[in-house]
Amino acid sequence: MIRLQGVHKSYKTHFGAKEVLRGVDAEFRRGEKVGILGRNGAGKTTLLRLIAGVEHPNQGRIERRMSVSWPLGFAGAMHYGMSGADNARFIARIYDRPMQETVEFVEDFADLGSYYRMPVKTYSSGMIVRLGFALSLAVQFDCYLVDEAIAVGDTKFGRRARAALADINARSALLLVSHQAETVRAFCETAAILDDGRLTRYDDLDEAIAAYHAAAA
Amino acid sequence: MSDVVAPRTGLLGCLGIQARVIGALMMREMGGRFGRDNIGYLWLFAEPLMLGGAIGLLHEIAGHPLPGGLNPFMFWVIGYVPYYLFRGIVNSAPSIIASNQSLLYHRRVTVEDILFARFLLDGAAVGIALTIFLLVFGAMLGEWPDEPGLIVLGMAGMLGIAQGLAMLIAAATVYTELFDRITHLFTYLSLGLTGAFFMVFWLPTDLQQDALLVPTVHCFEMLRRGLYGTQVPTTFDIPYLVAWVAVLNLLGLAALRPARRRLVV
Repeated sequence: MIRLQGVHKSYKTHFGAKEVLRGVDAEFRRGEKVGILGRNGAGKTTLLRLIAGVEHPNQGRIERRMSVSWPLGFAGAMHYGMSGADNARFIARIYDRPMQETVEFVEDFADLGSYYRMPVKTYSSGMIVRLGFALSLAVQFDCYLVDEAIAVGDTKFGRRARAALADINARSALLLVSHQAETVRAFCETAAILDDGRLTRYDDLDEAIAAYHAAAA
Repeated sequence: MSDVVAPRTGLLGCLGIQARVIGALMMREMGGRFGRDNIGYLWLFAEPLMLGGAIGLLHEIAGHPLPGGLNPFMFWVIGYVPYYLFRGIVNSAPSIIASNQSLLYHRRVTVEDILFARFLLDGAAVGIALTIFLLVFGAMLGEWPDEPGLIVLGMAGMLGIAQGLAMLIAAATVYTELFDRITHLFTYLSLGLTGAFFMVFWLPTDLQQDALLVPTVHCFEMLRRGLYGTQVPTTFDIPYLVAWVAVLNLLGLAALRPARRRLVV
């Protein structure tokens, strides 16, 4: 279970504090697949980063009773000065995974060719996403935090990523943030809408999607 | 499903995770700094070895006699190498979190781990370099350390002061960029005050009291006592140094906590 209580988050800018989340309360249970819908800039990414513990709320509490992945589909979680292979070794070390197996698994899944032995800073943005997702699959969590970027795209990797997500879905909880209702429908059972810094849970997926479209209109 | 990361673990499990994370960060730092080209990881202590050796040799060649008839090469090496540790750690403090920030995506990696990995690595590098110098002094100049324990303690004190300052600077960097600009100036100006290149007994009596307020002066005096024994007079106060190390480190750790909460990753 993950529980958020009265979570506020604001960032300091040159124009004063920008409040992104203004009191989010939510509970995500073991095995749940929840889509979090929100417009660009609604704070989806911020919410995911707080749940992951990458950043901390200004106010409120986040309680984690299951192991939670780092946010997938973003550029973080790897070091740009290291090669893909060294990043895989780093992950294997900190999560206590078998070294050789992890390095080989990531090499195979990310499909980076010779770039795998070169620093991440030489990668294209697509390659970085591939490496990041492959790294995250090398470690198993109770709950995965996923950005939509991973689930879209009709490339070879896009298809493999969707297959891997479906596999994760079968055994773990999933929080997927997206601005597209279709993506959420493909992977999730229920949904929530993030709007104006607050999160509204819907038990029924169709109801959530209808409300999301209605708000846009 | 024993492969799934556990949500919680006991104290021993936490210590295990922390040791693994710090080890991984040290490997990362070594890979990043030295790579696998040419002599690779040997650069770790080759750098302080070369710098210390060069400074020592320059003064040896210049041939200025030192009070107490000390050997200039030894004197400058035993001053410069520990100072190199201090300067390296303090100078890297403003950029240390930023250069590993993306790794904070892993909740197991903490800012404290990032800093401690760096302190351990720098401490080990300079420790190895100093050990090599001490062996050279013994083998070539016949000067074996009088009390090796005091040399270890002096270096530990040096590391303790440097890491306390570094934690405070790293925490402050989260709030302001000011330290990016002034840290190098501070370490440069501090060169003359740290006690790296003077001995307390060289100073007039009233100045001695002032010099002994500086905690690093005690480290250098301990190092010299450990190396020279009673050939030259040395003055140091171990409880005074320990108090400085404890206070700086506690303040540093206390400052890192709120800083991490504010950090935008």
